[in-house]
Amino acid sequence: MDFGSSALSTRRSVLAGLIGATGWLGSGFASPARAAGEFAGKTVVFAGWGGAYQDAEKTAYCDPFAKETGARVLQDGPMNAAKFRAMIESGAPNWDVADITIDFLYAGTGDNLFEKIDRSIIDTSRIDPKFVHEYGVGCIVWSYNLGYSTKAYAGKETPKTWADVFDLAKFPGKRGLGDNPVATMEVALLADGVPIEKLYPLDVDRALKKLSTIKSQTIFWATNSQSQQLFVDGEINLGLILNGRAYDAAKKGAPIAISWEQNIQSVDYLVVPKGSRNREPAMKLIDYMTMPANQAKMANLLAYAPTNPKAFADVDPQVSSWLSTEPGNVKKGFVINAEYWRDNLKKNTEQWTAWKLS
Amino acid sequence: MTAGPGFGRLDRRVWLLAPALVVLTLAFLWPVGWLLSRAFTQPQPGLGNFVQLVRNPGYLQVLGNTFLISAIVTPICVIIGFPVAHAMTHSGPRIRRTLIFVVLIPFWTSLLVRSFATVILLGRNGPVNGLLEAVGLTSEPVPLLYNLFGVLAGAVQVLLPFVIFPLHAVMLRIDPTLLPAAMTLGARPIRAFVSVYLPLTLPGLITGATLVFISMLGYYVTPALLGGPRQTMVAQVIQDQIAQFGNWGIAGALSLTLIAATGVLLFAVHATVGFRASVR
Repeated sequence: MDFGSSALSTRRSVLAGLIGATGWLGSGFASPARAAGEFAGKTVVFAGWGGAYQDAEKTAYCDPFAKETGARVLQDGPMNAAKFRAMIESGAPNWDVADITIDFLYAGTGDNLFEKIDRSIIDTSRIDPKFVHEYGVGCIVWSYNLGYSTKAYAGKETPKTWADVFDLAKFPGKRGLGDNPVATMEVALLADGVPIEKLYPLDVDRALKKLSTIKSQTIFWATNSQSQQLFVDGEINLGLILNGRAYDAAKKGAPIAISWEQNIQSVDYLVVPKGSRNREPAMKLIDYMTMPANQAKMANLLAYAPTNPKAFADVDPQVSSWLSTEPGNVKKGFVINAEYWRDNLKKNTEQWTAWKLS
Repeated sequence: MTAGPGFGRLDRRVWLLAPALVVLTLAFLWPVGWLLSRAFTQPQPGLGNFVQLVRNPGYLQVLGNTFLISAIVTPICVIIGFPVAHAMTHSGPRIRRTLIFVVLIPFWTSLLVRSFATVILLGRNGPVNGLLEAVGLTSEPVPLLYNLFGVLAGAVQVLLPFVIFPLHAVMLRIDPTLLPAAMTLGARPIRAFVSVYLPLTLPGLITGATLVFISMLGYYVTPALLGGPRQTMVAQVIQDQIAQFGNWGIAGALSLTLIAATGVLLFAVHATVGFRASVR
């Protein structure tokens, strides 16, 4: 029961657990080999976050890969860092390719959990060098944005920066923030006037003090689906939400828009666990994910931005304003410091819990 | 168990318990015990996790908050459940059957479904707020969710049967002539109720209250879905520690502390109130 996914476990798509279960059960076994491909008879297990996101990954990456190489691609999930770690430490991981968050990439690299990216199989030159790591390849770029209700602020001034979230007078109504110190603390500090360059290491006490000013007016959502639902139900007027989630909600008719000011970007990475028995086909699958055409497919489906700059040529122009790597949007934001969170997440979470109860 | 057919016969019948005990041990005692033992072995053997529990911020507060919320929910359940149990006992068979179904059918519905339903009901633009505004009691939506009220609304409706049924069972066994007898001796109805009826229901009351209290201590979905930050309970923190950090040690330590504190509390209650009730 993946019900407790925290906001840190990013865009766990709508009803991740439920739809994910039916999603991967339905996707089942990939198309049989059409031609004798190089990996005919081999199996690769791909682990994602379930739901619409994993469905999109299957359509954009896994199916073309299976067709061309003759390998069998199985879907599994949902991704859970603790479970993945336990799997690798036991010596025989079930998953061959996994989509993970950047902080787990750093933590796992430090603990020697992943195979080195094989550059002879994967063309890493296609990917923006910012998103290439020794042990992982960036697959999507997403961001934490300021989402607001177009209904509540129709005809009036709309919220633009994080300071607006803390301005109860100018923008009344309930706000939504993640029940997780990640990104929430950055938001508080930015609202308090800390410039982006001076953000890390985070002044936790200052962030919590700022958050206390709106605590009684804030609903803390535990999952990304909840963040969407709060906007759909009109429970909150503005708050923190992932760009892809906002896009999904807007596509389904919710009165939501996002601001790109001070957006906080992050990247998901594809890794191969140490001890994977299908290392070669796994690396090849990752290579498929670097192809521009496939990444564009992903972006068009879910507004999660490609890491291959050439993919933009094939992205639907309507979606591009929702993408975190659209040049105009990138300039306005910054990349979250995953190393900081790798080292401080536990401590900050303890302080967060204590603050919540105060 | 009275001294019946002889000690030897009693011994043999005890073996009927064996299959149940085996299942209980294999499926529950052993895995849970192994999990809890990690509190003393991970990441390093020793009491490090318990030291962290006390030293690091947040853990003790969450434990305290958990007990506090349970302590609020329990009397509410008892106060609402007592009249229902009483009505169930002293009404005609048709009404009694209806009442039993009214209590049982929600009881059989999934907790998750009911919690989500409560979210829909109590939302800002939900039916409850709509009704309040339509009737004119309020002019704008009242915050009924993501606060203590939300948790209480969700928890009480789910835990009421745990009070109603034990109370009902005990009330059925109370001699119906006792109350009239007290009144013929001069007691006014309220006095008769308080000093004759109420004490006789005490065993059922304590059973129900205990069940509600302990259940509420472990609740995860209700505070997670319906509560705000100040309603964070220990189950959420345990889940975070395991799912986010893989920190079995702290999770085990939290669980053990919860079990120990609950055990002490229960013992205290039953040693004082419970014992008196059963002696009667």
